[in-house]
Amino acid sequence: MHHSIELIDVHIKLGNLLVLQGVNIEAKPYEFISIVGANGSGKTTLLKVVNGILKPFKGKVLVLGQDLSLCKKLHNLRKEIAVVPQRSNSNRFPIRVEEAVIMGRYGKIGLLRNPDSKDWKKAYEAMEIVGIKEFSKKSVHELSGGEQQKVSLARALVQEPSILLLDEPTTYLDQESALEIMKTIYSIHCEKGFTTILVSHDPYWIEQYSDKIYLLKEGKSNLVRKKE
Amino acid sequence: MNIIQALDFPFFQHALVAIFFASITFPLMGVFIISLNLIPLRFAMMHVALLGGAIGLFLKLDPMILGLTFCAIASMALGPISERMKLGVGTVSGYFMALTLAIAFVLFSKGNIHVIEAFSILWGNILSLSKTDLIIIGVLSLSILGIVLLFFKEIQTMLYDREIAINIGLPEKFLYYLIVFVLGLTIAVSMRVIGALLVDAFVLLPALGASIISKSLRQLFFFSSIFGLVSGLSGLYISFIIDIPTSSAIIIITSLIIGSCTILRRRFI
Repeated sequence: MHHSIELIDVHIKLGNLLVLQGVNIEAKPYEFISIVGANGSGKTTLLKVVNGILKPFKGKVLVLGQDLSLCKKLHNLRKEIAVVPQRSNSNRFPIRVEEAVIMGRYGKIGLLRNPDSKDWKKAYEAMEIVGIKEFSKKSVHELSGGEQQKVSLARALVQEPSILLLDEPTTYLDQESALEIMKTIYSIHCEKGFTTILVSHDPYWIEQYSDKIYLLKEGKSNLVRKKE
Repeated sequence: MNIIQALDFPFFQHALVAIFFASITFPLMGVFIISLNLIPLRFAMMHVALLGGAIGLFLKLDPMILGLTFCAIASMALGPISERMKLGVGTVSGYFMALTLAIAFVLFSKGNIHVIEAFSILWGNILSLSKTDLIIIGVLSLSILGIVLLFFKEIQTMLYDREIAINIGLPEKFLYYLIVFVLGLTIAVSMRVIGALLVDAFVLLPALGASIISKSLRQLFFFSSIFGLVSGLSGLYISFIIDIPTSSAIIIITSLIIGSCTILRRRFI
């Protein structure tokens, strides 16, 4: 079986700044991987590399067995990768929670087709799992930060991905909401069998859930712990 | 002459048809201007049209046709250029604006072009539209409507958050370039219909009013069209009855609608 994600000697430059200089990471199917590192160590950059948004000038990125540098239809591969961003959307664009959640299906539905009853059913199931079903008709910008983060999580869930990328999903949450979100994430990970990559500052979550922990320092990665 | 008698005249029929189509569909593009922060694009298109007009006069060709052609080329190029330069379309529009104006002034100076004649490309007149103008407006209106209806869910995702659109595997770049291109054309055609300085009346203001009261993108598109249609038709009617410029009448009515929306939101929403 191939790895879900394999980064081999990845080097990334942003402008003139060498952000990643020789990163090696392996994630097998169903593994929960955590990436830790100081601010500016390149954790978010690394997630963008996995998602194909940033291309390395040196090294190789394999996602679900495909070499991203040779992948002609990157947007098709992205349908298998769900991202929960660090920030919640702060604009006041008028959109209801259910609409923001079902967006996760749009990539798989394809152009010129509308979501059908099965897609809506999945969206409502996802909202139920993360506990925002009661807000489904509310505007997203009326929700709190934690609730908006759950909208992102439900959207990722409804995408039915093979890989889940979590970019510091608890940064702006209070301790209680953070605990709730992380419990939800981990139970979804176990139940759905994603390969999950979590970028986080908080050692509590990392220790508790991770199969492997990588430390990013000075642009290089080190495997610091592996669960036996 | 009353308005019933005026309907017998082709110039008035053309104005009515143009207002009907343009006021329903052009405000849909206003939604993109607001949501994607593309306001500088309007100024860039004005200056690009001016350069096209100057080149037309210099080469003794139709300045209007060249103005529109230049706008089409510029709006097609803006998306990819901004991507290459890693700058927003708004910023690159500023660059286009300055560059095209500079070149236009070189042509005015070296080509002995009458400046007022070149600037006339920026003054639209809804009562002087030809059948060709109507065909252009009709085709553009149908294109706008087609894009909004066919790509509604992709547009909704992109306007909400472009990063989400990329992450879930939508062809976000293609859609963004398409929107910038059609928006450039809409602004160029609006200049012909209503004049460059009053493009906002047709494109932006109805969407601005709609954004105040809308709770979903569907409502935003719907109210933009309704406000555009109401202000367009009533503006034409009032301008005819009390003999004032049509563009001014449309803008005053749209402004009243925006004011009403603000009051409505404070009281009821």
